[in-house]
Amino acid sequence: MGDARSNQPGLRRRAVLAGAGGALCSTAGCVQRARNVLGRDSTSQLSLRILTLPTDANPFSARIARSLAENLRRCGIDAQIEPADYEAILRRVLINGDFDLYVGQFGRADWTDPDQLYSLLHSAYASESGWQNPFRYTDLDLDGHLETQRTAAGIARERAVRSIQRTIAETQPFTTLAFPDSLATVRVDRFRNWTGVPGDPLALLGVESAPTASASTLRVVTNDGRITANWNPLAVEFRNRGPFIDLLYDSLARRVDGERRPWLAADWTVERSEGLHATVDLREGAEWHDGKPIDAGDVAFTYRFLADTSLGSAETAVPSPQFRGRTSLVDSVSVRDDRTVRLSFAEAAEAVAERALTIPILPEHVWRERTDPATLAGLDANRAATEALIGNNPGPVGSGPLRFDSATVDQRLALSVVDDHFLFGSDPPVDVGGSLPYDELVVRVAGSDESAVELVASGGADATVSPLGPSVVPRIGRETGLRLLAAGSRAFYHVGYNTAEAPLSNTRFRQVVAGLIDKQRVVSDVFEGYAMPAASPMHGTDWLAPGLEWDGADPATPFFGERGDLDAASARATLADAGYQYRDGDLLTE
Amino acid sequence: MTLVASLVELVVVVSVAIAVSSSVIVGFDRLRATVRNVRGRVKRAAAPIGALAAVLLVNSLVREPVAEAAWILGVNITPTIYGIEGEFVAWVQSFAHPALTALFSYAYVFGYAYLLVFPLVAYVALEDGTPLRRLAIAYSVNYTLGLVCYVLFVAYGPRNMIGDSVESLLYTTYPQYQFLTSQVNTNSNVFPSLHTSLSTTVAGIAWETRETYPGWSAVATTIAAIIVVSTMYLGIHWATDVAAGLALAATAIWVARRYVE
Repeated sequence: MGDARSNQPGLRRRAVLAGAGGALCSTAGCVQRARNVLGRDSTSQLSLRILTLPTDANPFSARIARSLAENLRRCGIDAQIEPADYEAILRRVLINGDFDLYVGQFGRADWTDPDQLYSLLHSAYASESGWQNPFRYTDLDLDGHLETQRTAAGIARERAVRSIQRTIAETQPFTTLAFPDSLATVRVDRFRNWTGVPGDPLALLGVESAPTASASTLRVVTNDGRITANWNPLAVEFRNRGPFIDLLYDSLARRVDGERRPWLAADWTVERSEGLHATVDLREGAEWHDGKPIDAGDVAFTYRFLADTSLGSAETAVPSPQFRGRTSLVDSVSVRDDRTVRLSFAEAAEAVAERALTIPILPEHVWRERTDPATLAGLDANRAATEALIGNNPGPVGSGPLRFDSATVDQRLALSVVDDHFLFGSDPPVDVGGSLPYDELVVRVAGSDESAVELVASGGADATVSPLGPSVVPRIGRETGLRLLAAGSRAFYHVGYNTAEAPLSNTRFRQVVAGLIDKQRVVSDVFEGYAMPAASPMHGTDWLAPGLEWDGADPATPFFGERGDLDAASARATLADAGYQYRDGDLLTE
Repeated sequence: MTLVASLVELVVVVSVAIAVSSSVIVGFDRLRATVRNVRGRVKRAAAPIGALAAVLLVNSLVREPVAEAAWILGVNITPTIYGIEGEFVAWVQSFAHPALTALFSYAYVFGYAYLLVFPLVAYVALEDGTPLRRLAIAYSVNYTLGLVCYVLFVAYGPRNMIGDSVESLLYTTYPQYQFLTSQVNTNSNVFPSLHTSLSTTVAGIAWETRETYPGWSAVATTIAAIIVVSTMYLGIHWATDVAAGLALAATAIWVARRYVE
């Protein structure tokens, strides 16, 4: 942009005129001039496509995309919105890198720990698929800060985390928009004691029977039908939210009330001698859903398998894109005895390394067979993928408190309670009172928020699990049997950019795009107040860098205008300063 | 009220409407004659009706796979459609009124089912087998070409793309019907509008039989017109889908006339 190849528009227009005249004149100079003109790549209006979920699937993304597209058009850019379903978006963004920008929401991830940003932005992952660096962003300074954040402790880590946030705010590999409140509705005539929102697996485990009810089935409704078709914990295009995989599969540790607690592990000890190691003891008597015992071999297999799902049979390792950040923390793993494994960590501080304990543990006897290269898939043909990453994992065998029963695609999923799960034993990681008040959990699929709420209102379901939009809040208020639940969520909305391709490879261009979004307006109009605008992914935590607090306006990329009214002239001027050219009001490609 | 209740409601309402219109439009003499000869009359149209049954069966079996396949084989034309017509549907919705919403919603759900089923009854009741055969063929062409388009094109309706200016009026007003419509529709397959094409097909063939059933011709044309507008008014379809639906109906009727003299 703005490099030596660009020339003055006025000169250029004269050249075109002269070139056209060249056909009529026969002098060598004229022909040379025509060649000069025609030999250049012609410029055209810059166009961008914004990927977003349809309103049925997410009430916010499409509306945010609309206002962004409108403001981009006012800057002379031909911006179009392309609605697509979850699978298509995740496949294009995470796997194929075939996008300009998207409006989306991060999954129900552990966004309280800044180490999330490591796999999200480190350039070592720029060419990998999955949620590691989907933006294809490379910044060596940022890499340095991300590494320091991983290995340092105390004030040194804090300083690194601040530098990371300032770099993100300045260079905008993605634009943090807002942290939403998760909204849900429940009825309490059959089950009560809803803690948090039903989209949280622990909330589904925490319900109690209502005093006079004798229901044995908990019925929930979602407008995300993917869980009725695919149960593969490693499939990136299917797994970005929803509580069900966490109920089917256990991990060694799980985050409860903000702290990591032993889960499938009975306990672990961490020691530092020639590197950082953890010795993990498994719970006694734990079984897979098919009745086979869980042993240390399964745990060791899981870490090796996620690091290379071909288990050495492919020319280069095929790591699972899902959980890549966390598995990259583990260097090696060894079996001590039936119930003990020892994990050796890559260079990392203890608090960071323990994140590796939260990945789902897979049964070796099921997944060992899935190392073959995938033969048919909607993927780049030249990118390796194994059956493990592609398959739907029908009849999933996990070890969680719920087991798979049956499913009808885009209609229904039935799970049943595993009575002898350790959660109902003598030393449970969270107290659920010794048993669940239901034997079966049935998930129904609704077409939109409205019909999901309708199903709960009519008594056909007990709770909504997919986050609702604010448009159904008045309806919930009118129905006497319905209760509205809200919980702050760390799964923040953002605009993601493909920084590998022009024009979004240009930092200045991304800064302007970020300035075209009035986050305060987005929160008040689109979220109707059920969200917090933010300038940093660490907003709302103690890690937030000074200077990036939200104080009514964005401290890093303030909106071009006031109260939702875009000052297009000022945005255009900023683009012109960055070396972009206009013709008849249209912004031109390079 | 959910799927089962909505389905029962639909069956009851449509059955009553067909019973009433059979007595008024078809008349008792024709009905009595039909009861006597029903086997022979269906047999005469056996080939087109068999073809229609086969098309409907295949359609119900492949609807889900087709929606999936479209993401691999098809082109997402939603941005193009928006580029063509912009905020037209929002303009249609600017006339929204609760009474209109009720009218269009019931027409979209109940009127449509009635419009598609009743002519089968009415044409079986005719001694002339031509209209029944034409109708069966025209339906088959609609569903078949519709399915081909659904593989080739991914398109979301206005309510799913420009949800800030177009409200999903049917599903916000009567959310229970979404369980019903989601049995036969996929929200990423709106191009062309089969509601438009099938309704228009019925109206077109009703026009051909206007001398036998003058009342039906008027009723079918009125209901079809309401349904066509409702697809846009309710935010479900773009005007482009409707235009494509009209073209599809014209094709279906042309094919039916060509093969059934």
